[in-house]
Formats: sequence, C-alpha cells, structure tokens
Amino acid sequence: MSFYQDFNDKTVTEAWSDTAREPYQTLQLTRLAPTLGAEVRGVDLSKEVPNAQFAEIQRALRENLVLAFRGQTLNSEQHKAFARRFGTLHRHVLAKSRAIAGGTDDPEILAWRTGPESRFTAGDAWHHDVSCDENPIWASFLHVTKLPEGGGGDTAFANMMLAYESLSEPYKALLDKLTAIHDGSEGWTAGYGAKPEPGKTFPANEHPVVARHPHSGRKFLFVNEAFTSHIVQLSRSESASVLAHLYRHIEKQLAFQVRVHWEPGTLLLWDNWATQHHAVWDYFPQERWGERVSVQLGFGPRA
Amino acid sequence: MTLHIQALGPAIGALVSGIHLSEPLSDSSRDALLQALLQHHVLFFENQPITPLQQRDLAARFGPLHIHPIYRADPEVPEIILLDTSTGNPPDNDNWHTDVTFIETPPMGALLSAKLLPPSGGDTLWSSGVAAFEALSPAFQKLLDGLTAEHDILKSFHAERFARTPEEQTRFDAARKNNPVVVHPVIRTHPVTGKKGIFVNEGFTTRILELSAPESEAVLALLVKHIAKPEFTVRWRWKTNDFAFWDNRLTQHYATNDYLPHRRVMNRATVLGDKPF
Repeated sequence: MSFYQDFNDKTVTEAWSDTAREPYQTLQLTRLAPTLGAEVRGVDLSKEVPNAQFAEIQRALRENLVLAFRGQTLNSEQHKAFARRFGTLHRHVLAKSRAIAGGTDDPEILAWRTGPESRFTAGDAWHHDVSCDENPIWASFLHVTKLPEGGGGDTAFANMMLAYESLSEPYKALLDKLTAIHDGSEGWTAGYGAKPEPGKTFPANEHPVVARHPHSGRKFLFVNEAFTSHIVQLSRSESASVLAHLYRHIEKQLAFQVRVHWEPGTLLLWDNWATQHHAVWDYFPQERWGERVSVQLGFGPRA
Repeated sequence: MTLHIQALGPAIGALVSGIHLSEPLSDSSRDALLQALLQHHVLFFENQPITPLQQRDLAARFGPLHIHPIYRADPEVPEIILLDTSTGNPPDNDNWHTDVTFIETPPMGALLSAKLLPPSGGDTLWSSGVAAFEALSPAFQKLLDGLTAEHDILKSFHAERFARTPEEQTRFDAARKNNPVVVHPVIRTHPVTGKKGIFVNEGFTTRILELSAPESEAVLALLVKHIAKPEFTVRWRWKTNDFAFWDNRLTQHYATNDYLPHRRVMNRATVLGDKPF
C-alpha cells in the first residue's frame, strides 16, 4: 500500500515559507499568514513614494501577494496616482452601471455601495477581478470608504501559486497545456443581473489555465468560478469535472488563504493574477461602501 | 450450420445464430467466435439450453477457468457460479464493473446462461471501454494514459453481506487473504487488438495512485459517469436459455436491480486472462 500523493500541500507550503526574504529598509511589514498577506506601515501613499521605497513595495507585493497599507488617508486622485505607478489604469465596463449601486462619473474608479437594498454585491464569490478582459487586471487597489457598523466585511484571499503547486504532477501536466474561456456574462449577468449596453456584449477571452507570473516566473492557476465558462481542449463533462475539482481545491485549502480585516484608513493592494479573493458579505443589512482602482499590464497572463 | 452475426449497435454487441453451444466447439467455430468477440465485445445467443458441465467445457475452450472466492458455485462444477438472486439474496451487481479485476490476471471473458428469469426486468447492460476511451478529449486521454489504480475485492464484497455465518466468515477471510489489493493501468491496451480502453470500474477500483485523493475522486467519478453513456452501451433483455459471451478485458457491465421480489438465476463461467498493460 502506498499513500496518496497529497502531502504536496505541506511540502509546497514549506517551500514557500522557506524562501529567503530580505529585511525591509523603508517599510514595516507584519505578515498576516505564512502563505500570503501582509500589513504595511511606515509609508504615506498620499505623497509621492520615493523610488527606493516603491521598489520595496513591489518586492513586498511579489513576496506576499496581498498588502494592507494601514493608516492611509487618500483622496481619489492620490489613490489613482499611486496605482498608476504599477500600470495602466483600468476602466471597468460596469463603472457607471447602477447594477452594483455605486457608480461614479470617473471611469477609472469602480465604486459601489452595499446596503439594505442590495440583493447582490461586488465580489461575493471566489474570483479574479475581470478575468474576462483580454488583458485582465493585474493589480487592484481597494479603499473601503464606509465600514459596516458592527464589524464584518472582511476580504479573503487565496494563493493561486500554491493552489497550482500543490496539485499532483500528472494533474499539473494536464492543466499546463489547457486554455479556458472567461466570459463577462458569466460573472455579471448571472451574478449581478447586469446587461451589456445595447448592441454590445460583455468581453469574453481565452487565457491559459496555468500561467507564469511575469515578475517571479512562478506558475499560478488562473481559472475562477465567477468568469470561467469552460476549458477549451476538454469535453463538456471533463471541463465541468476539472473546474469543479479546482474550485473545491481553492475553496477548501484554508492553508493557502488569508482573511484581511478592514480598519479605517486601509488601502488594500493585491496581485489579481496570483490570487483570488472573496468579499465576505456577513454584515447585511449594514452598509459598506468601496472604491477600487485597478491596473493592467500591456499583456494578459501567458503560459 | 453457418455462423450468422448481426451487430446490435456501432459500439458494442452482436446477436449470433447458427451454432449450438451445448455441442463440442470446433476449432473453426471457436476462432470465428473469438473474431466476433474482438469486433463486438459482447455476443448474444438465443435458445441455447446448456448444462453446467457443457458450459464449463465450452468456456474451457477459451482458456483456464477462474473459481470465484466468494460467490457460490454449482455443487458438481466449481467453475460455474450460481448467481441466484431473490428477496433473501438481493442483487449486488447493479453497478458498472468489469468482472474480477481484483486479481493480477483479470478474466479475458465470461459466459453467462439465463436459467430462470423474473416476469420482467433483470436486464444487463454492457459498455465498451474502448469506445468510452476514444470519446475522451486527447488532453484527458493523455492524463489517464500512464496512471495506475488500485483494485480491491472488498469494494464490492462486504463482510455485512458475505460473512454472516462462521462458515461464510472463513470463506470471506480466505478471499481477503488470497486477494490482496492489486494495481492495474487506468488505460489498458487490449492484448489482441492493440486498442486502448478505460480499465477502472466502480465495482473494484478504489483510487488512482499518482493523483491526490481529491483529484483521484474527481477523475474516477467522471469516468464512472462517462462509461455509462448510452452511446457506448448495449442493453440485453433476457429470455430463458439466452446466452452471453463477453470480452471482459475492455468492457464493463451492469445488472439491473429492478425485479424483486421475483427470482433470477444465471450461471457464469469465467475465463482467466493475462496481466493488463
């Protein structure tokens, strides 16, 4: 008798934690979990961040994938100015929509208000933001402008590098060669009841199921329940089986997850390719308002 | 008499006439049946009264016979299993399975004779593992090819059912001891035709060794569902003295459990095969 090959999750966690991390000179980091997430202090994002400090923020993001900057007071322009240093600002198809009940006139800000009238809210499921785009958002910068009275409204993250690495070798080899369709109508029409503008359709694009991160070279899993409709190279039933297994793998592996607790003055930054997230809607009927700025690179995830 | 073979579907099954199976089988008839078996995977014969001894002799023309460690045999002919099901001994083959994959050299074939049938029901379905494999996507075929899986007699034969008396317990313990868990390829190559087919089954396959536990469960669940697609199957409605001969190397079958409180009696002979690769 031999054992299943599912000690993988322990060995990949060990390898992740054993990776050498240089101390930071210009930031104070407190890690929120061994596998992802850190609080960052010692920086004022409302001002122009010096290059050396910015380089450390980039490294901190590479090493932790999710950064919660505490004690920040930012207006919309400062919020966007910080994000712009990471890439091109993203314009969300639903930015002006009332579907998520918080539309603004600024196409570079996705704002929403969840309250007692809401019947759905942004991100109430595991997902990568807007993975249906041709060049999906690489990083998002979220500011919760009104925290729910009585608490709640955390955001949970899952590490897609570890989700990939913890699969068995034959299963990785299967996924390595596959691509999947990510369809905006899966997430927005099914999820929010949102409809595209007349004469238009929501974006739908094909991405590798496993991509290699442009900054670290590390592979990550890139399918999510909100937007991924199917895997192109598989039959319908095979695709359903593989995706259901992967979603369960992502959901149930608490060792690869962290739950970020919001405090006033938090700006949350995450790598939207290497993580999925889930906004916990545990505060109904209390209100929670947020504004998100996101950036794209000049390309999408590549195998 | 000349052998007449009529296909019952594109994937699996043929009706054969022009032969008396109770009579000694000539070499030429034997070869013709084997050819038909390779092409159609399961052969059906009508109006073939046959004694247990005659059935044993017929089966032995195709190879050495297996003696089942659990199922009851004919008192005179140990190579003939008596599948005698009724309210007191309810059916237990209502799952998709390949016979006796819990040994190193699972049977190449099995021969089944319908002795006593319920007024209706008790049909048997066969599925082609070759057709099922060929319908998978190339990517999924590649995943499966090269994997191995465990097969365990205890997945189908439970102590609560088959070890209810001290005598049964002794037989059950011996069956366990003599049939340790074995490993077979998930995709098997047919030793004669060279075709590849699915060789995991709900009856005996417990897990795929190279995958994680949840991956193994997901893949096996998919394959168990896949094998049952009507496109790969044939369903036979038995009449008394019908006879079936199937290639057990790359087929699975399912005995419908829908006829209680009536009784159904079938006699089976099982021909040993070679080690799957």
